[in-house]
Amino acid sequence: MTNLHHLSAVELNKAFVQGDVTALQIAEYFLKRIENHNQQLGAFLSILGPRMILKAERLDLKRSQNKPLGKLAGVPVAIKDNMHIAGEITSCASKFLKNYRAPFDATAIRLLEQEDALITGKTNLDEFAMGSSNENSAYFNAHNPWDLECTPGGSSGGSAAAVAARLSLIGTGSDTGGSIRQPAGFCGIVGYKPTYGRVSRYGLVAFASSLDQIGPFATTVADVALTMEVIGRHCPHDSTSLDLPAESYSLNTTLADVKIGVPYRFLENLKPEARANFENNLHVLKSLGAKILNIDLDILKYSIAVYYILATAEASTNLARFDGIRYGIREKEAKTLDEIYEFSRKEGFGREVKKRIMLGTYVLSAGFQDAFYKKAQKVRTLVIDAFEAAFAECDAIAMPVAPSGAFPLQSINDPLEMYLQDIFTIPANLAGLPAISVPSGFDSRQMPLGLQLVGPQLCDVPLIQYAHAFEQATQFTRKIPPLFKGSAS
Amino acid sequence: MKKLPYELWEPVVGLEIHVQLNTKSKLFSSAPNRFGDEPNTNISVVCTGQPGALPVLNKEAVKKAVQFGLAVKANVALFSKFDRKSYFYPDSPRNFQITQFERPIVTGGSVTTFVEGELKTFQINRAHLEDDAGMLKHFTNFAGVDYNRAGAPLIEIVSEPCIHSPKEASAYASAIRAIMLYLNASDGNMEEGSLRIDANISVRPKGSTELRPRVEIKNMNSFSFLEMAVESEMKRQVALYLDNPHRTPEELIPPGTYRWDIETKSALFMRAKENSDDYRYFPEPDLAPIVLSQEYVDDIRNTLPELPHDRYNRYVSDLNLSPYSAALLIQEKELCDYFEAAMKHSLNPRQLCNWITIEFTGRLKERGQTLISHKIPPLHVAKLVHMIDNNVITGRIAKQVADDMVASPELDPETIIQQNPDYRPLSEIAEIEPIVDQILAANPQSIADYKAGREKALAFLVGQVMKLTRGKASPAVVNELILKKI
Repeated sequence: MTNLHHLSAVELNKAFVQGDVTALQIAEYFLKRIENHNQQLGAFLSILGPRMILKAERLDLKRSQNKPLGKLAGVPVAIKDNMHIAGEITSCASKFLKNYRAPFDATAIRLLEQEDALITGKTNLDEFAMGSSNENSAYFNAHNPWDLECTPGGSSGGSAAAVAARLSLIGTGSDTGGSIRQPAGFCGIVGYKPTYGRVSRYGLVAFASSLDQIGPFATTVADVALTMEVIGRHCPHDSTSLDLPAESYSLNTTLADVKIGVPYRFLENLKPEARANFENNLHVLKSLGAKILNIDLDILKYSIAVYYILATAEASTNLARFDGIRYGIREKEAKTLDEIYEFSRKEGFGREVKKRIMLGTYVLSAGFQDAFYKKAQKVRTLVIDAFEAAFAECDAIAMPVAPSGAFPLQSINDPLEMYLQDIFTIPANLAGLPAISVPSGFDSRQMPLGLQLVGPQLCDVPLIQYAHAFEQATQFTRKIPPLFKGSAS
Repeated sequence: MKKLPYELWEPVVGLEIHVQLNTKSKLFSSAPNRFGDEPNTNISVVCTGQPGALPVLNKEAVKKAVQFGLAVKANVALFSKFDRKSYFYPDSPRNFQITQFERPIVTGGSVTTFVEGELKTFQINRAHLEDDAGMLKHFTNFAGVDYNRAGAPLIEIVSEPCIHSPKEASAYASAIRAIMLYLNASDGNMEEGSLRIDANISVRPKGSTELRPRVEIKNMNSFSFLEMAVESEMKRQVALYLDNPHRTPEELIPPGTYRWDIETKSALFMRAKENSDDYRYFPEPDLAPIVLSQEYVDDIRNTLPELPHDRYNRYVSDLNLSPYSAALLIQEKELCDYFEAAMKHSLNPRQLCNWITIEFTGRLKERGQTLISHKIPPLHVAKLVHMIDNNVITGRIAKQVADDMVASPELDPETIIQQNPDYRPLSEIAEIEPIVDQILAANPQSIADYKAGREKALAFLVGQVMKLTRGKASPAVVNELILKKI
């Protein structure tokens, strides 16, 4: 078979199961693609070639013995480098953890491997998942497959770039304020942030525990659904994991009688190009039978402020363990305990991470906690309430994924402007809601744009169905970036 | 130091007692909760704060906390939650502790116990669950951290500042320990650090109700250190006030944290409070709140074991023990359980209590042992008391038998008596009668005196017989024989 990278995960799995292609062929094909393209793309921090080959050989043996094959058998999957694969390095794109070998498997990884996925490697990200452009990686930038001068988005930029360039067909990401959806939108693929608690966070290096959620990247909504069937399981190691059975995702193509809410006033300041695309998307939804209605979500304008208080507060404690005592960097010059802490953290953390730790420490400090942390918690509750009220009227909420398409690397230097990237994605994290980013067309630079659909808590299945209907009507997901369309050799 | 009028002052003490719960695994991980193993063997990715590891609450620890709350008649919260308490130290694997700051599982409650013979009640403010830190070990050219203890479940019990003497402090603390032991919620082993006490101490003129600045003395692991610490800190503060009548309490006693030094038997200054850490408490996002049903709490209430105070009441009212003996007995759960076991074979609680708490405990103390550690079966002690009660042996011989039981703990007192002719009871009349005859023949004057109404003369005669039999004869039998013959 040629052009394996033009297939979806579902299609490739089928080809493997039917015997059209061996797992070893798949592994070698995609490893070759990674080898050829990673230099220019910066998507992978580490490539797990031997491991992948070994797994492929086992899969071929399994198939030759007619043993049952997992749901993701033969599908190459890229893992964001803040999730543990036992025995492999989890760097979090930080100098601090450049030598840190994970002592255990993340639950999501265990489930993927259990269902016979072929893990390709660990992908680039903003250090500790803090950023919206992947420019905060301590190692190198990741690039957008549609235009290498542009960012793939962040923080899960590496996984998004890897899947968009078809170096893997599935990717994992973690989404704290949009870190799956925004890069998916920028790279023209599907990205999904499940309901908080749907996917176990065990083995995910925490950024902001109450907001973090693991989810998949894929080239089709059906592939997202397939991945969710695998990783969307209860996990006893994560106390916030939902104690519910795994769901199965049947897909349909109509939106008849589905009510889609649009927070028009919150979207008032959309730039013309983004607005035009969004309105087109609404037309598509309507044409599929959906009813569009205006909803009030004005409170969401406080989302970014709330997010940068709560997320940094949690991060300041989650990252306190990186102290040079047990693992990671220990600065050799340090002579006292305080110096070990100070020098190790100074050396190990990048600028953005330090900034957020300081912010978080500040908002929790005595004398400031009431004005910042506690107030932000109250506003978070209001956001949750506002969504609840909105979902009394509609089945899903439509918004753009980001204010614009992917921007050129190094083009945004104002931190606040960078933080505004996440204005439409953060609200779903604050309320723990499932939200999906689906390709919705291109801007004038031929950079992809994305439509975001947000559903009520636990309504992962219907939300993915709506996204599937939209995708089937638009077919933007089958577009491959021209640079990466050709075959590996 | 000059003599100061301490009697005009009283200390105001509040205690924070950290009790390690004896659950199988740790508070938030499945690693074994065990003391004394090789360093860093009882650990998991959670105990060492590995990135990506998450805490999962141990339900057994929650149950023990609820049991404690109910045992002290406190309010058990149906909704409580955990918070992060941030501070950097190498023994703290995440550099934050998971504790219950805002909504503890237990609030209120009280403990009633004897203080120097007087019954007193102490108020509890709150009790909450939290995880323990690891331990630093210092070597000649480096320091190591042992995380075996990291994550061990603790319940921290905070009293109101309602303690007003060193003896009260230790009585309250030992009452808490006793409750924990009765609940089987902790091993209470103070040498191993299973119960550690922080004391907040201030003083005030007697009769006043003010609260003056206090200092905190941390980490005491013995009741006698606690008494010493309260005593010495009280004296220090009183002396400061008396020597500096024109300075304010705030100037004289800057709030600070001290550590009890075992070597010098004094409190060593650690840090001033104003420089102390801001712990930046906020809700622990990795754990759901603890939500308990009323049914769950009621179930635990209905299955609470007998508690020290209940046992005390039963001993005094049903078993007719003296309040002193009862209080002594309930103090040590192991010994009290021993008494319970022996009571199954005995009809004489008072004597049994006496033999257990005084005779045997005294003998064994010299060897650094207890009845339990020395493995003397409760049945044997009960048998010994039984033989005294039935006049098989005299009290004096019983003491010798007790010596032998301590020397050979496996031996039954019946066997000891059989094997030693000296202990053979002389209850047989045939054996005693000639001796009685001999004494009566030698003391006609005493017989006359008795007949003339002097009771003491009879006692003299009995004593003479006892002397001749070297105490082996049963006094009751001798008494009976003499009366018959005169």
